[in-house]
Amino acid sequence: MSPLAFAARRVSAAIVIVLILVAAMFTLQHLSRTDPAHAYLGAGASTTAVAAERVKLGLNQPVVTQFFHYVANLAQGNLGVSYRTRNPVATDIGEYLPATVELAFYALVMALAAGTLLGVASAGKWRGARVLKFVMVSGASAPLFLLALLGILVFYGHLGILPATGRTSSVNPPTGPTGFLTIDAVLAGRFGVLLNALRHLVMPALSLAIGPAVSIGRVLRGSLMTVLREDYVRTARAKGLRERRVLLSHALRNSVGPALSMTGLQFGLLLAGDVVVEQVFAWPGIGYYAAQSIPVGDFPAIGGVTLVLGVGYVAINALVDIFQRIADPRIKL
Amino acid sequence: MTGMQGSIGLADGPGPVGQVGPVASVEDLRVTFRRGGRNVHALRGVTLHIAPGEIVGLVGESGSGKSVLGLSLLGLHPKASTKIEGTVMVCGQELTSGSAEEWRLVRRRYLGAVFQDPMTSLNPTMRIGRQVAEVAGNTDEAVRLLNAVGIADASARLSSFPHELSGGLRQRVMLAMAIAGTPRLVIADEPTTALDVTVQAQILRLLRRLRDDLGMAMLFVTHDLGVASQVADRIAVLYGGRLMEVGESADILERAVHPYSNGLLRSRLTLLSGRDRPVVSLAGEPPDPTNPPEGCPFCARCAFVEDLCRQSIPEPVEIRRHHQVACARAGSLTEITDEALAPWPQRADPTGLAVLVHAVTKTFSVGRGRRRRPLHSLRGVDLEIAPGEVVALVGESGSGKSTLLRAIAGLLRVDSGSVEFGVPGDPQMVFQDAGASLTPWLAVGALIAERFGSSGLSRAERGQRVEHALASVGLPPEVRSAKPRQLSGGQRQRVALARAIAVVPPLLLCDEPTSALDVSLAATILNLIGQLRRELSMAVLFVTHDLAVARIVADRVAVMYLGRIVEIGPVDSVVGDPKHPYTAALLASVPDPGVELKAVMGEPASPLDIPIGCGFASRCASADELCHRSDPQLDALSESSDGPIRSIRRVACFHPVRSDEALGGGGG
Repeated sequence: MSPLAFAARRVSAAIVIVLILVAAMFTLQHLSRTDPAHAYLGAGASTTAVAAERVKLGLNQPVVTQFFHYVANLAQGNLGVSYRTRNPVATDIGEYLPATVELAFYALVMALAAGTLLGVASAGKWRGARVLKFVMVSGASAPLFLLALLGILVFYGHLGILPATGRTSSVNPPTGPTGFLTIDAVLAGRFGVLLNALRHLVMPALSLAIGPAVSIGRVLRGSLMTVLREDYVRTARAKGLRERRVLLSHALRNSVGPALSMTGLQFGLLLAGDVVVEQVFAWPGIGYYAAQSIPVGDFPAIGGVTLVLGVGYVAINALVDIFQRIADPRIKL
Repeated sequence: MTGMQGSIGLADGPGPVGQVGPVASVEDLRVTFRRGGRNVHALRGVTLHIAPGEIVGLVGESGSGKSVLGLSLLGLHPKASTKIEGTVMVCGQELTSGSAEEWRLVRRRYLGAVFQDPMTSLNPTMRIGRQVAEVAGNTDEAVRLLNAVGIADASARLSSFPHELSGGLRQRVMLAMAIAGTPRLVIADEPTTALDVTVQAQILRLLRRLRDDLGMAMLFVTHDLGVASQVADRIAVLYGGRLMEVGESADILERAVHPYSNGLLRSRLTLLSGRDRPVVSLAGEPPDPTNPPEGCPFCARCAFVEDLCRQSIPEPVEIRRHHQVACARAGSLTEITDEALAPWPQRADPTGLAVLVHAVTKTFSVGRGRRRRPLHSLRGVDLEIAPGEVVALVGESGSGKSTLLRAIAGLLRVDSGSVEFGVPGDPQMVFQDAGASLTPWLAVGALIAERFGSSGLSRAERGQRVEHALASVGLPPEVRSAKPRQLSGGQRQRVALARAIAVVPPLLLCDEPTSALDVSLAATILNLIGQLRRELSMAVLFVTHDLAVARIVADRVAVMYLGRIVEIGPVDSVVGDPKHPYTAALLASVPDPGVELKAVMGEPASPLDIPIGCGFASRCASADELCHRSDPQLDALSESSDGPIRSIRRVACFHPVRSDEALGGGGG
């Protein structure tokens, strides 16, 4: 398939997923019987004011009409206005999203690194692999919020070596151009800010990463064990290559396919965990934004966050397919 | 770069290696695996020396331990589950309890290896240039090696992945890696078994030439004495983890002493085997390696067995110069004459029609998107088979023979043409891998009874008919309650046959049913098919790549090339007097002892890229401009066109081989 056809297919997949997500949201909104107009005007608003506001927001129309209205706006890039912040949702998300992308990126990198280490170490029967596995599996079996709280208790409360909340405690951190604090700090040449940002990232990213890391590691171990019994690994050994080289340059590349698929799946779980982790660490990302919007029934905001996460999931899985193609030339996209 | 070590060669050898001493040797080697809680005694005291520059053919059936011996010389057994006793010496180094690193350096400096299936033995995700350079040291050397193994445009091939190459080219790449750094010993484990017969002939010649040029020794592991006879200076016959007989190739082939080597030789099918009666087969099966017999491993199948044989394992004794035999009765063996098996009963010539295949074409589509290409698998095939007649379909990979079989079985829809049956009922198939074609969780009885469907038979009647089907393939009734995995390979193939004939089909389709079996087992299955088709008057279409097998089972043979039948006729006349240059080339590539191989050039053409003219023209020595321009049709030869329809010979060639050119007319 040509790159263009591949992109076209993935974009249409994303559109279908967005439509399904919007439909699901409208169903939930309808079932929840929260009155956004009431939430918008505050608890003391009069019945007539609420009714007038419902007309203004279009909430008096049938759900199906509202759905099409929403989709039509969406097609023009209009996500609506948040009932809570009274800003356009797109503006809010533009403000909160970089923090989440940065966190998710570091979490994914940690998950991949730790997963690969776990997989290779246990398949290659390296010393210490069992300890590593024990630590990681017990970490992954704890509920996410518990793990996050435990991390705060130990590393902030007890040892005092890591900060507990927020993205940065630097004075006047750089705000542009990318919105990713670690990159902006490097661009601005402020390495103190970079270090500070990384210290803030460690605990939330690690909490998010540990579950996916164990899954990726286990899948990688399984496929590595299979590949190590393949004829071409015997050929590599017969050539007199060092065992490390046999493992890393012959076996590993042929084993990453299943691990990459698992990474795509785990990214969905990572996004779900993000909402919890941002809440615990007061991380100013869209998970935090969503968590504040949910109790007040701020549907435009919730909808915007959902759509962004959905599109992110599709994008990551498209990347997974591309990486699988790179890893194995026999795969056609 | 670690690769540099490979090219240093002799200078940094760890010990003095004289010209006279063996390049590798094993003394009383015993290898035991721990598998599934049981000890598998793979090798039980083997002594063998390989002299520098010598090719030793190690011949044995499956389970004899021949590959284990090869891996022992490479030090590639998994340490944890293997017990190795005795002595292993490579290039003067004692390595029996060598560390992983010692072995690695020995492999790097002195050893090369080629394995059976070049598709799985090459890393699928690494470009071949890098795979060769990994041992060669650098790209220039990789190109030189690839040229040395006969890959023409080597530098252009460097960036290919293994799946982009043909089978023959892949095995040449394996060879290039094996000879990198000029090893002293190459272990070649069935290096030609997965290849087409014409390509096999090319690789066998290449192996000899490389040995002559580079002076390396080789351990050539094979199940086929004919193949061994083509390359080996000496032949060692292994059975039940013990060497039965070692000697110079000619000596073994002409004057084998051990009853086992003798039996192997006699059950080997050649183009001269008598076909008017069942073929000779060694009765019985090899010993169980988890519970080896106390005495000679062969005593259970030996015609000369006496008490002494059962009591102790005979040690090899030199009976002639360079000829050792491990047999207690080596001195007193008489000439083995097979009881003449009764010839097959005479039958009337088959008449009527079991199946009529008319102008069948099938094109698959491979690739996706813009890379989508048509694969022309069948390009107009006509064939008719009478009840009770066996037609062998011979061809190399890509010839379309399996596609034709599946089209006749109704397993795929043809694009045009027709398949009609003259007798009611569904055709049945028997496959190469009997183990994989039997559902593992069903008992044999249930597998066979499936054939009766909802025929309204009572339970007792079904049981009786299952037992009858088992009896007709020579299996006892108790087998009905066994699961396929509890049976041996030969028994599974019998069960597959019993299932096929439980309700006699109008046509039995056999897809290489014997090519995964050892010679003696293959012979019994061929005899069984011969017997069943005569008893049941069943038509059989038998796909094989082996003309010797085709000759034994079939009345007529059809030779396929690139989706067409290029020659068809009575089997004796086609084999004895091939008319199509491709048939002649196939016959000249059959590795028989004492016959020099004439390798045809090139590899089977790709069904993705059909030439305008004759499909074989690019490999044919007698092709001229006409052959490249227009496509010859399958026409009856004038001299045979008057006879009965089944004796007509047809050939698709503008320049048929003249009878006086005989064998090897297609060789270049």
